[in-house]
Amino acid sequence: MQDRSLSYLLLVPAFLIVLATTLYPLAYSLVTAFREWDLTKQRRPGDFVGVDNFGYAFSEPGFQNSLWVTSVFVITSVILTLVIAMSLALLLRRKGRMHTFTRVILILPFAISPALIGVSYRFMFNPEFGVIAKGLGAVFPALDGVPWLASPDLAMAILVLTDVWHWAPYMTFMCLGGLASVPRETEEAARIDGASNLRIIFGIVLPQMKGVLLVVAVLKTIFALKMFDQVVTLTGGGPGTSTETLAFFIFNVGFKWYDMGYASALAWILTAIMMLISVWYVRMLLSERKMATA
Amino acid sequence: MAEVQLVDVEKRYGSFLAVPKQSLTIEEGEFLVLLGPSGCGKTTTMRMIAGLEDITAGDLMIAGERANDKPPKDRDIAMVFQNYGLYPHMTVAENIGYPLKLRGMDRKTREARVQETAEKVELQALLKRRPSELSGGQRQRVALARAIVRTPKIFLMDEPLSNLDAKLRVTMRAELKHLHHELGVTTVYVTHDQMEAMTLASRVAIMREGRIVQLDTPKKIYSEPADLFVAGFIGSPSMNLVEGRITGGRFEAPGVSLPVAGADRGDVVLGIRPEDLQLTDPGAAPISGKLYALELTGDSTLVTLRNGRTSVCTRGPADFEAPIDAPCTLAPKPGARIHLFDKQTGQRLDA
Repeated sequence: MQDRSLSYLLLVPAFLIVLATTLYPLAYSLVTAFREWDLTKQRRPGDFVGVDNFGYAFSEPGFQNSLWVTSVFVITSVILTLVIAMSLALLLRRKGRMHTFTRVILILPFAISPALIGVSYRFMFNPEFGVIAKGLGAVFPALDGVPWLASPDLAMAILVLTDVWHWAPYMTFMCLGGLASVPRETEEAARIDGASNLRIIFGIVLPQMKGVLLVVAVLKTIFALKMFDQVVTLTGGGPGTSTETLAFFIFNVGFKWYDMGYASALAWILTAIMMLISVWYVRMLLSERKMATA
Repeated sequence: MAEVQLVDVEKRYGSFLAVPKQSLTIEEGEFLVLLGPSGCGKTTTMRMIAGLEDITAGDLMIAGERANDKPPKDRDIAMVFQNYGLYPHMTVAENIGYPLKLRGMDRKTREARVQETAEKVELQALLKRRPSELSGGQRQRVALARAIVRTPKIFLMDEPLSNLDAKLRVTMRAELKHLHHELGVTTVYVTHDQMEAMTLASRVAIMREGRIVQLDTPKKIYSEPADLFVAGFIGSPSMNLVEGRITGGRFEAPGVSLPVAGADRGDVVLGIRPEDLQLTDPGAAPISGKLYALELTGDSTLVTLRNGRTSVCTRGPADFEAPIDAPCTLAPKPGARIHLFDKQTGQRLDA
C-alpha cells in the first residue's frame, strides 16, 4: 500500500469520531434551526419554517434581555480581567522567591471548576451565614444583611466577580509571557530619557504588548460570551432574568421549554457573533504583523 | 559638560561583590573608555553612573554634586545601549524626539531639533520609518541621535558598536570620534574591543575582576602596560611574553638571550611587541627557534617561531616565505621597548 493512502486510512478513526461528536450535531442543529421542533410532541424535527426561528428571536423579549445581560457581562468582565491581569503581571514580573511563590499559588483559582466556583460564592454571599457577606457586614455595618444575590445589580456584579476571579490568573500568565518579550533596554532608555514609571508603562511597555493584549482580550471575550456554569450554580439566571446570559437562555429554551428549533437558531446566532469577533481579531493580528515586519 | 567622580564606589549584589571599592575621575570633555573582558564590572560601573543600578557604598559626583540618590532623569545623562533600546512602536522621528517630548518641549521646537539632529547623523531620509525597517547601522544612528538631541552633560555608551559588522564598526567608530570632537561632551564608553578603546579614548581604564588595573592614555597603556594582564590585552597581535630569568644583565630563556637592565632574579616575564622585533640573519641573534606558523595579513606576514616553551611572533614582509620548521632568528629593532614583569604578581618591573 502506498504511504499516501495509508496515511488517509490511519486518519479514518479520528475523522469518524469528529464526525459523530462534532460535525453531525453541528449540521443537525443547523437543520433544526430552520424547522419547528417541540420536544414534548415530536421525536424528530418537524416542519420547515424558513427563517421564522431567527425572526422570532428579534421580537422576543427573552432573547433581547439575554443579549443585553450578555453584553453587560462581557464588557465588564473583559475590561476588569484585562486590567487586573496586566496589573498583576507588572507586579509579578520581577524575579525573586516571593514572586515565584505568588505566581504558583495564583494559578489555583483557574484550577477550580467554574460550576464549583458558583456554588462556593453562593455560599459565601449568603446573607445569613456567608463568610463574605458576614465579614463585610462586620466591617461595614451598613452592609449587614444586604441580600447580595437577590438584587439584580449586585447579582450581576458578583457573577462578574467570580468570572474575573477565575480568569484573571490565567490571563496574568499570558501577560507575563508578553512582558518577558519586551526588551528591558527600551524601559531603561525611557527612564534615562526622563519618563516617569507610569509613563514607561503606558508609553513604552503597553504599546509593545499590543499583540498579546489583543489575544487576551479576544480569548476572554469568547469565553465570556459562553458564560454558563456560574449562572447555573450561582444565580440561576436570577433574580428574575437579570443574569440570564445568552448561553443560559439557550439552555432554558431547549431543555426547559423543549423548543429545540428556536434553541438551535439562537445557538447559531451566538456562533455568528463569536465568528465575527474572531474574524475581526485575525484581521487586527495580520495588520499588526504587517506593521511589525514591513 | 561635566566632570564625573566616583569616590570609593562599591557594588554588591547580596553577598556577591561585583565592583570592589574604587575611585575614578572622568574629566570634563574627556572620552573615557572602560575596557575589559566580559564580566569585569565595566558595564555595572557605567550603569551606576547612569542610575540604573544602585550604588552600595561610596559617592558618585556629577559636576560636583552628589548624584547617588538622583533618579536617572535628573542626572542629565544620555545613554546608548548595545541593542540600541529603540522604541519599536515609534517612528525614527518620534524616537529621537521622545526625550524632548518628556521635557515638555513644544511640538515646533521639537521638530526643528529632531531635524537638526537627524542631519548631524544623516538620518533625514529615514525619519518616518520604524526601527524594524532599519539596518543595524541605521538603528545605531537613531540611538545616537536620541542621545545627542537634548545635549546632555554626559554620554554613556555601552558597547554601542558590538552588534555591527566589522566594516560598519570602523566607519561608525570614526563618526563617534568626530561627534565627540564636535560636541565636546564628557563621554564614558564601555567596550571589550581594545582597538575601539585605543582609537577612541582620551584615556582608557582597563578593568579586571571589578578593579581598574590601569588608567592612562592609550599611548601610555600601549608603551608602558602596568601588568601582564594589560600587556596581553592591548595590542594585536598581542605582546610576546616569555618566561625566564635575569642573570648577569641578560634575560635568559629557551632560545632567548637579551641584554636587559635589572638585577639578577628568577621568575621574570619578558614582554616585547611583535612590531618591535625583526627577522635577522642567523648568527649571534638574540632570539632563535624553529618556524612554527606563517600568517599573511595582506600588508605583512605574521611570523611565529618556537623554541621549547618559548613562542615569539613578529611582523615580517608580505613576501616572506620559508618552510615550516626551518630555523629562524629574530632581533629587537633599534629603539625597541623591552618590558619586564614579575611572574608571581604580574606587576611591571621598572628598571
